[in-house]
Amino acid sequence: MARVAAAGRPAFWSVRTDPAVVATAGVGLILAFLALYPTAMLFYGSVSNAPLGVPGHLTLAHYRTAYGDPNTYRMIGNSFVFASGAAAISLVVAGLLAWITVRTDAPGRALFELVAVVPNVLPPLLTATAWVLLLSPRIGLINVVAQRVGLPPFNVYSMAGMIFVEGLILAPLAYLIISAALSSMDPSLEEAARVAGSPPLQAARRVTSPMIRPALLAAGLLNFVRALESFDTPSIIAIPARIEVFTTKVAREALAAYPPNHNLAATYAMSLLGIAMVLVYVYRRLTASRERFVTISGRGYRPRAIALGSWGYAVSSGAVALLALIVLLPFCVLLLTSLLPFYSVPTWETVRQLTLKHYAFLLTSDRVARALRISVMLAVSGATLGMLLASAVAYLTVRTRVAGRGALELLTFIPWAFPGTALAIGLLWGYVRLPVPIYATAWILLIAYVTRFLPYGLRAMTSTMVQVHSDLEEASRVCGAGLVHTFRRILFPLLRPGFLAGWAILATIFMREFSTSLFLYTPRSEPVGPLLYHLWIDGLHGRMAALGVTVSLVSVVLVAVARRAGRTRVGE
Amino acid sequence: MRDSFSRALLAGIAGFMLFVLAVPAVQGQADLAGAAKREGSVVVYGSIESDVFDVIRKIFEGQYGIRVDYFRASSNGTMDRVLTESRAGKPLYDVVLTNRSPMLILKKAGVFGSYVSPSYERYPAATRDGEGVLSPSYRQVVVSVLYNTRLVKAEEAPKSLADLLDPKWKGKIVMPDPNVHTTTAVWLANLQSVMGAQYRPFVEGLAGQVTLAESFLPVVQKVIVGEFPLGITYVKYVYIFGSEGAPLDYVRLSPLLAEAHHVAISAKAPHPNAARLFVDVFTSRLGLLALAKAGEFVLVPGVYPPIKDADKLRIVLMDDLSEQDLKQFRDQIGTLFLKR
Repeated sequence: MARVAAAGRPAFWSVRTDPAVVATAGVGLILAFLALYPTAMLFYGSVSNAPLGVPGHLTLAHYRTAYGDPNTYRMIGNSFVFASGAAAISLVVAGLLAWITVRTDAPGRALFELVAVVPNVLPPLLTATAWVLLLSPRIGLINVVAQRVGLPPFNVYSMAGMIFVEGLILAPLAYLIISAALSSMDPSLEEAARVAGSPPLQAARRVTSPMIRPALLAAGLLNFVRALESFDTPSIIAIPARIEVFTTKVAREALAAYPPNHNLAATYAMSLLGIAMVLVYVYRRLTASRERFVTISGRGYRPRAIALGSWGYAVSSGAVALLALIVLLPFCVLLLTSLLPFYSVPTWETVRQLTLKHYAFLLTSDRVARALRISVMLAVSGATLGMLLASAVAYLTVRTRVAGRGALELLTFIPWAFPGTALAIGLLWGYVRLPVPIYATAWILLIAYVTRFLPYGLRAMTSTMVQVHSDLEEASRVCGAGLVHTFRRILFPLLRPGFLAGWAILATIFMREFSTSLFLYTPRSEPVGPLLYHLWIDGLHGRMAALGVTVSLVSVVLVAVARRAGRTRVGE
Repeated sequence: MRDSFSRALLAGIAGFMLFVLAVPAVQGQADLAGAAKREGSVVVYGSIESDVFDVIRKIFEGQYGIRVDYFRASSNGTMDRVLTESRAGKPLYDVVLTNRSPMLILKKAGVFGSYVSPSYERYPAATRDGEGVLSPSYRQVVVSVLYNTRLVKAEEAPKSLADLLDPKWKGKIVMPDPNVHTTTAVWLANLQSVMGAQYRPFVEGLAGQVTLAESFLPVVQKVIVGEFPLGITYVKYVYIFGSEGAPLDYVRLSPLLAEAHHVAISAKAPHPNAARLFVDVFTSRLGLLALAKAGEFVLVPGVYPPIKDADKLRIVLMDDLSEQDLKQFRDQIGTLFLKR
């Protein structure tokens, strides 16, 4: 006490007034509620012998059922092969495409950039269905062409097929994260490499690639876990291929059980949480010394494009080929499906059958209009809220030394570790008990989306923020600017690409999210994702494709607006 | 002469009785409609296809001006949602309609209230629920082998289930995975009573012949696009998608197995009067005729969906599986379909 008095003010006073500590505590409380509340409900479900709302007692029976089965470990093994392969493919495709569009002067790169985000807009279910129509052994368009030129058909109903399709589905997310990091990168190191005699590709491999390692790791990590928990591609491909992965086992034993066993689903979800937490720990270890990745410092930050010269068109052709895989081919199949009464392998007869009736349905359906309204509202407000929260978390974890800042990042990752359905069960169990009437409104969807997808926004922000050296902020403060002024004039302009890339990721996902929404929406708050899903389960593939095409266009407009607002122009 | 007098007397008594009964019924119906209109809307959870449901929705909304909100899911999804909301104490649904097996589970869970609609009187007594909770089986979903008529000529199509084991169909048949799709499990389990001693060799052979999909709709889609020439799925799709131009026909198996559908109202319906009124319309002759016109097999004598030979089919209702039965089936038969 005497020492406190000697210091002039009590110790607790300094803690209370330190803005970083107060902010960390406030953000921590919000995140803890968002993440831990549904997680706690899921954990309780996994150790309770009764379903939600029914009194029961604690038991480990679900754990014995789930983990006493040796098949569980074989399925997890299959899932690891699937997820690693898919994440690797997504990184290669996205890395190459991001480098071409952001770091080079390849002709058409602005258009490529916009097109690259389209598949992020399409529900994975639609993309996987489109790839089956492209690569089915009997009627797949690519296989039909391949067989005509004497090549053997590729069977999409295989582990290789699953990895390929999931990798392409995940590529746009990786692209958004990697391109955000690349557009914030100081290219003087690349220039130095080239001045020292390295050709552009070698400079990219030896200089660019290590510099964007946090973004690559983040994208790889996010996509690995997303593939691990994915049910869309497995349900379309693994069931016909008779390959069992972890999620198909969960669906079979817990969700298709009679009646469905949410407690067992929650128990399986706990192992995914464990795996994700280990991966987050590894990621943090690998990017621990942040200074290694700082590339924007006070020394002349000016992104500049790599001049490809005569290689420009060849590189553009490469980008077109990559885009054909992740966007153009599946989108063309979708477009064709939307213009036919029923899809079939195109022949001359197909031209006569073309119809706009599925689009006419969209124009006349109140249900479609309402779903689009709700989804645009959820996309704009959810992405904005999510990115504001992500920015606060990124700033506190990267820029401050406040105790407990690591916990903030961990908290955001917890809900993301669960499959959408499992998280929805946790949210349902949690929010249905709250005295606030949130259940059965669009608000619970908003909360669910922000809770589940915050890590995507956070990754985009953090990987950009670690590249911006704190000497810029310090210089601003030394010149007398306050925290808000420094943030507005210095940090925000530099971080804008990351913020808007994250916003675009979240907005496009929110436009069509369905696995979490399915459990939480009601007929009056039906967004686009569940509507697409219902058109799919009703077999109305033409209408589903027409809505998919329309939603893609709406999302492209959202992304274009975000990009325009956030562009740190190459060469400026 | 005496006979004709007796008949006239009986007809007179019956007419008087009908009048006496009908006046309060009409009065009651008017009261119900008034109360239902004051509630303003009705929320229905079910597994009937949205387009088919819209036929009834239009009739109901047109007649009473009461909005119908429909939550469509698979039969398992419908059961899951209803159970979850009920256990959480927040039931948002008024009416539930889906297959018999999940409806029995929901009835056992006590989520339904009892309601005997005046419409039920037209149904055969054997189809009515003694406890007055479930409606009679107003429609049946009939399962068969559908084929793509561009790829398979009628004379080349299989004529029986045993024909599916012909080596020429290996890899060309698609069906739902009985390990994830409950109605398929119920169908396969019920084949035992149809096939007798041939059952086990048949399912073992079938497991080696087929490619699996998630449920009946992906199956029919794969047949329509020509990915597989044959698929095991609902017969009604021949009309629902065929009328839009899909190249589909079905194998006239004898018998054809079908699962019954029921409707019931929630024990804690937010709109109880609108729920009752909806069930009245849904199970009325008008409702059933509209469903039949949309491709459904309904329980009205002499009324058939617009599907060729629908009037000649021998349809047998399947026995439902209990939770234990299903588990046992999946352990013994379902695993055959998991082998690669």
